[in-house]
Amino acid sequence: MSLLDGYLDLANLAILLVLASALVSLSLSPLASLCSSAMAILAFNWAFVSPRGTLVVDLREQVLLLITMLAVSWIVALLMGRQRALAHEARRHAQQADQLRMLGEALRDARAPLEQVDLLGETLEQLTGGPVTLLIPGQDTPANGENRLLRGRASIDQYDGLRLILTTSQAMGPGTGRHEEQNAWFLPMRGRTASFGAALLPVTDEIARSLPLREHAQALCDQMGLALERAHTLYLARTAHAEAQLQGLRNTLLAAIAHDHRTPLATILGAASALLEQNERLSSDQRQRLAATIVDEAQALTRLTDNTLQLARLDSPDLELRMDWESLEEIVGSVLQRVRRRDPERRVQARLAPGLPLLRCNAVLLVQLLDNLLDNALKYSDAGTAVEVQARQENGRLLLAVLDRGPGIAPEWRERVFTAFERGGAPDTAMHRGVGVGLALCRAIARVNGGQLYYRPREGGGACFECSLPLTPLPPHRPHEAPHS
Amino acid sequence: MSLCVWLVEDDRDLRATLREVIEVEGYRVITSATLADAQAVLTHAGAGIDLVLLDLGLPDGEGEAVLALLRRERNVPVIMISARDDDGQKIRLLDAGADDYLVKPFSVGELLARMRVALRHRGTRLQAAVTHYQRNGLEIDLAAHRVALHGETVHLTPTEFKLLARLARSAGQVVTHRQLLTDVWGNEFVEHTHYLRLYMGQLRAKLEADSAEPCLLLTEPGVGYRLMEPGNAG
Repeated sequence: MSLLDGYLDLANLAILLVLASALVSLSLSPLASLCSSAMAILAFNWAFVSPRGTLVVDLREQVLLLITMLAVSWIVALLMGRQRALAHEARRHAQQADQLRMLGEALRDARAPLEQVDLLGETLEQLTGGPVTLLIPGQDTPANGENRLLRGRASIDQYDGLRLILTTSQAMGPGTGRHEEQNAWFLPMRGRTASFGAALLPVTDEIARSLPLREHAQALCDQMGLALERAHTLYLARTAHAEAQLQGLRNTLLAAIAHDHRTPLATILGAASALLEQNERLSSDQRQRLAATIVDEAQALTRLTDNTLQLARLDSPDLELRMDWESLEEIVGSVLQRVRRRDPERRVQARLAPGLPLLRCNAVLLVQLLDNLLDNALKYSDAGTAVEVQARQENGRLLLAVLDRGPGIAPEWRERVFTAFERGGAPDTAMHRGVGVGLALCRAIARVNGGQLYYRPREGGGACFECSLPLTPLPPHRPHEAPHS
Repeated sequence: MSLCVWLVEDDRDLRATLREVIEVEGYRVITSATLADAQAVLTHAGAGIDLVLLDLGLPDGEGEAVLALLRRERNVPVIMISARDDDGQKIRLLDAGADDYLVKPFSVGELLARMRVALRHRGTRLQAAVTHYQRNGLEIDLAAHRVALHGETVHLTPTEFKLLARLARSAGQVVTHRQLLTDVWGNEFVEHTHYLRLYMGQLRAKLEADSAEPCLLLTEPGVGYRLMEPGNAG
């Protein structure tokens, strides 16, 4: 500035100094820029205002000039400081929003919120700079259950504090109005109804005074609390469902025993005790017939038990089915092989459309479905009449049907036959045992394979049970010849 | 000297019944009721056993442990007996070296038939494999790569032949999808069950009288395939 002295008058020099002060306040803190501008103006007075070399000012205008310079510099410095504080605040808000969003997304994608407990811990540690302790109660009862420290460690007092806020759902520590003397924040992870965890954040005095920081930490904890509450509600619902299922299974088994097991057991007992007690008085033909009765009835009982157990299994909530690419020809072929033992007259005939695509399904279950439908058809239609298995492709689905020339099912029974422990007709119509369980199972099998099973009367008399199954496109790579060895 | 069957079954009544029906067929029978007992028998009398019938659910552990012990040192045929009809379990056992499995309840006829097949295969893992198969007019000469139906040569693609040959080497026994895919196509194809479906379809079309109701190439749903045990020419 002294270079310009002589070229420029005092007012221009003063403007330049104000400009310099403004530039300085861009980078210094408000207090530093206030001081530096005051110093600069004193120096200006010393160097340029006559009498030079002193802080004394001769002219009144020059006093006004110096005061104005000081005022303008200070206003600029304060405005800049305020601006910077606002920007800082905005950045902090954005960062906190980011942290909340990240935690929220992580919780949404996680199978269980507890998987993200470390993310919460790390985020809180970034906020406070100290090691964070997280306490999560056992799953059964949020407040009284077994508590687990999932991260960090706590003294006995701190542990008690964490358990306390789990029940009160109110934060403790400096700034909260409760237990101000603590050197850590105790923050509950609040859900809508209760707290589902607690966090311990050691804080320095400086951090302890920051309300926004604590509010943000609380928001992060609450986000975890809500996720834990959701998981807990789901868990309760699942447990209740499983319990209802178990009750249902018990009822099914009891009904099966009461309804369908006693008669075959009575027959078996009758035949077997006759063999044992009347052995010498029976002809060898009679003995043979009684033994055959035992085998037949035991097989019927086995089928009934298999069907009942399978039905219960398919109704279970955590059913996992192995699906594979299956050929319907093969499934029908293996069912026919089994059925022929009960079908010496070869009444069952298969009519499969040529070139059926592969099915994505569980073969064991489909075999059981066909086997049950064929067993019914053979029992309910007269000896000598044919029973048909048909399969064809229609509108992107595969239709699999079992048809007989028996009496069919009366209209009022057409839906009820699919209910376990119902039989298709009045008691006197010689209906066979266990048909309801069998058909209920068939319908459940169709369902878990993505299809439906329904009844319709057959044209020209008889019953038709049709199962419609979805067709999935084959995997992209076509089979190729094996490598030559 | 009669063949010795080792029956590991914890249920007393079933054990007595099975013992009786097996002895009637002329076999000698040793029985064990617990896993501990089975381990002791294996250490002391293991060498003389020709066939093992092994129940999976033992009071003090899983029968699978015995299978693992057996497979570590001996090549004796093992038929597993299970109370649960679970295809996942069947596959695991067969892949772990069981020769066959039966699901309770089973008939005596079925048991004896499976025992005969298992005994016929005794030692085939060490000796040269089966080289010739014959049944229902189907003849397979594995060494000469020749397949004939009622005296006439059938042309198979190399893969069809490999698949048929693999089944013929274990004729009468079920071969799992995994075993077939690994042996015919290679390790990386174990998930490609649809290859098997299509090639089995082609084989049946060429070899079965009625491919819709096969009587040679049988399907074990969810588990694998079984080529009927060889029989007399006819």
